Amino acid sequence: MINLIRNEWMKIFRRPGTYVMIAILLVIISVTGIFMKYNLIEEEPNVTEEWKPVLQQENEALKKQLESSSIKMEQEYYKKQIAINEYRIEHDIPFREKYNVWSFVKDNSELILLAGLFTIVISAGIVASEFNWGTIKLLLIRPINRSKILLSKYITVLLYAFLMVGILFGFSVLLGAILFGFPEQALPYLNYFNGKVTEQHIVVHLIVYYGLGSIEMIMLTTMAFMISSVFRNSSLAIGLSLFLMFTGSQFTALLSMKFDWAKYILFANTNLMQYIEGTPLLEGMTMTFSIIMLIIYFVIFQFLAFYVFKKRDVAA
Amino acid sequence: MESIVAIKDVTKVIKGRTIIDNISFEVNKGEVFGFLGPNGAGKTTTIRMIVGLIDITSGDIMIGGKSIKTNFEDAVRHVGAIVENPEMYKFLSGYQNLIHYARMVKGVTKEKIDETVKLVGLSDRIHDKVKTYSLGMRQRLGLAQCLLHDPSVLILDEPTNGLDPAGIREIRDYIRLLAREKNMAVIVSSHILSEMEMMCDRIGIIQNGQLIDVQLVQEFVHSSSASFEFEVIPSEKAVTLVKSNFPDIPVTSSRNGITLELTKEVVPELVKMFVEEDIQVFGIKEVSKTLEDRFLEVTADKGGKRP
Repeated sequence: MINLIRNEWMKIFRRPGTYVMIAILLVIISVTGIFMKYNLIEEEPNVTEEWKPVLQQENEALKKQLESSSIKMEQEYYKKQIAINEYRIEHDIPFREKYNVWSFVKDNSELILLAGLFTIVISAGIVASEFNWGTIKLLLIRPINRSKILLSKYITVLLYAFLMVGILFGFSVLLGAILFGFPEQALPYLNYFNGKVTEQHIVVHLIVYYGLGSIEMIMLTTMAFMISSVFRNSSLAIGLSLFLMFTGSQFTALLSMKFDWAKYILFANTNLMQYIEGTPLLEGMTMTFSIIMLIIYFVIFQFLAFYVFKKRDVAA
Repeated sequence: MESIVAIKDVTKVIKGRTIIDNISFEVNKGEVFGFLGPNGAGKTTTIRMIVGLIDITSGDIMIGGKSIKTNFEDAVRHVGAIVENPEMYKFLSGYQNLIHYARMVKGVTKEKIDETVKLVGLSDRIHDKVKTYSLGMRQRLGLAQCLLHDPSVLILDEPTNGLDPAGIREIRDYIRLLAREKNMAVIVSSHILSEMEMMCDRIGIIQNGQLIDVQLVQEFVHSSSASFEFEVIPSEKAVTLVKSNFPDIPVTSSRNGITLELTKEVVPELVKMFVEEDIQVFGIKEVSKTLEDRFLEVTADKGGKRP
């Protein structure tokens, strides 16, 4: 199996396109870094200002809103904000700090979308290209069953996704450290869960944040992989996956305003951050529900990919 | 003779159309088996079934005693194949391509790769990218790819397609060598008859998905009565003479005289007759039939009816 993955890895990294992708990723991270450095820093708030009264005021306003609100989801949100603000005042943790390497890394989590885009391109091509090149014939007449070959390809795609997100994270840390420096004392991130506020080290938080942020990308990559294997067409796989990547969540948000079943749509569930930081898209959705939905989608995609790939007559 | 590949009552139906209709044959160790048929007859489909690229609707194929249907990995282990053109990863070097395939079977060492490269004569260019290779070089790389794991069955689909005469000859000699010295069974498909005649020990003719004949090449070419060309003057008189005295013998006028299809024993009789009738006889020579003539005969006889 390791040899099969090495083969796939070699086929990806012997093509110049792969390096172009990595270069683009690095360039864009650098551009955002430079942009942040020279544009935003000047407008940086004065972090030494008295922040406790500000939070107290905010909390009073929030409490009033909480009383007047009748929607459960809104109430939850207010409660959470109030709890976190109180925790800050109590433990002397300011809500704003000087822009530093960790702020930069967190901002760059937006670029997971870009890493996802590149991973989809690889994923969409990894099966379809073998058919286009005609090399599938020589690949499938080895004494290795087809499922193993397909599995090695999928694992390679996951490794590539991991590499891209890893590059994004690593380079962001490196560049952030150079441009903005480390904070003297890293402020912890505050988690609110079940009415309780807990502290989390910022680096741990960022890793979790990136991990959760990658779920949508992994699901779309898996979908692209499935399309690639079922239709042997990389353009279709790339096109459809990217289209859904950029429009899927908006569509789902629109649908969720009118229909309750929107919660069963893949994109309603890909953002697990909604249960940690914000409020769920629809009432009644929980972390467990979303995870189960994600697993169901994942299994369907994989079943289709493997079933069709195993059964197919290789005629072209 | 020990059989290594056995095709048993194999049928392939695609979307209700019978592409391959109940084919059976065996291929022995150390022999070159030619698979002959016009385009679209089902040669490639059969080959793809042998290597497990497409499913068998009914029947079974055994390679080295293992079924390709139920025991794919053990059956295909014995096989090295080029299916149609030897398509390689063009962005990799020849050597990387070979590494790629070597990783997919157990026990192929670096030395074995180097040895194979030398064997197919690619040592000079093996580290160049495949996209810079000529067709002949790609064909040789394809051959190297099949031979890496010392297969006992070699399957080559149209191996000489697109090669120049020197390349064709090289491949041909090479195939004969492998069959003879390594005792490999080689299955070659082609629609070029002269090539098959020189390369194969036995030939199976396929038409419209049916295997219409399997014969040794020699038998195949010589099985019918031979043709003799008589150089005679005047030829018109000779033709009428033969027609009246030997109505069973087909006779045609040819460039130098007349051509007759007969068995050797009748030749002296004919000569005597010509001499008695004052026809000048300058020469008699046997015209052996080519595979092409035989092929057209056989396909017209047995498979002429289209379904």
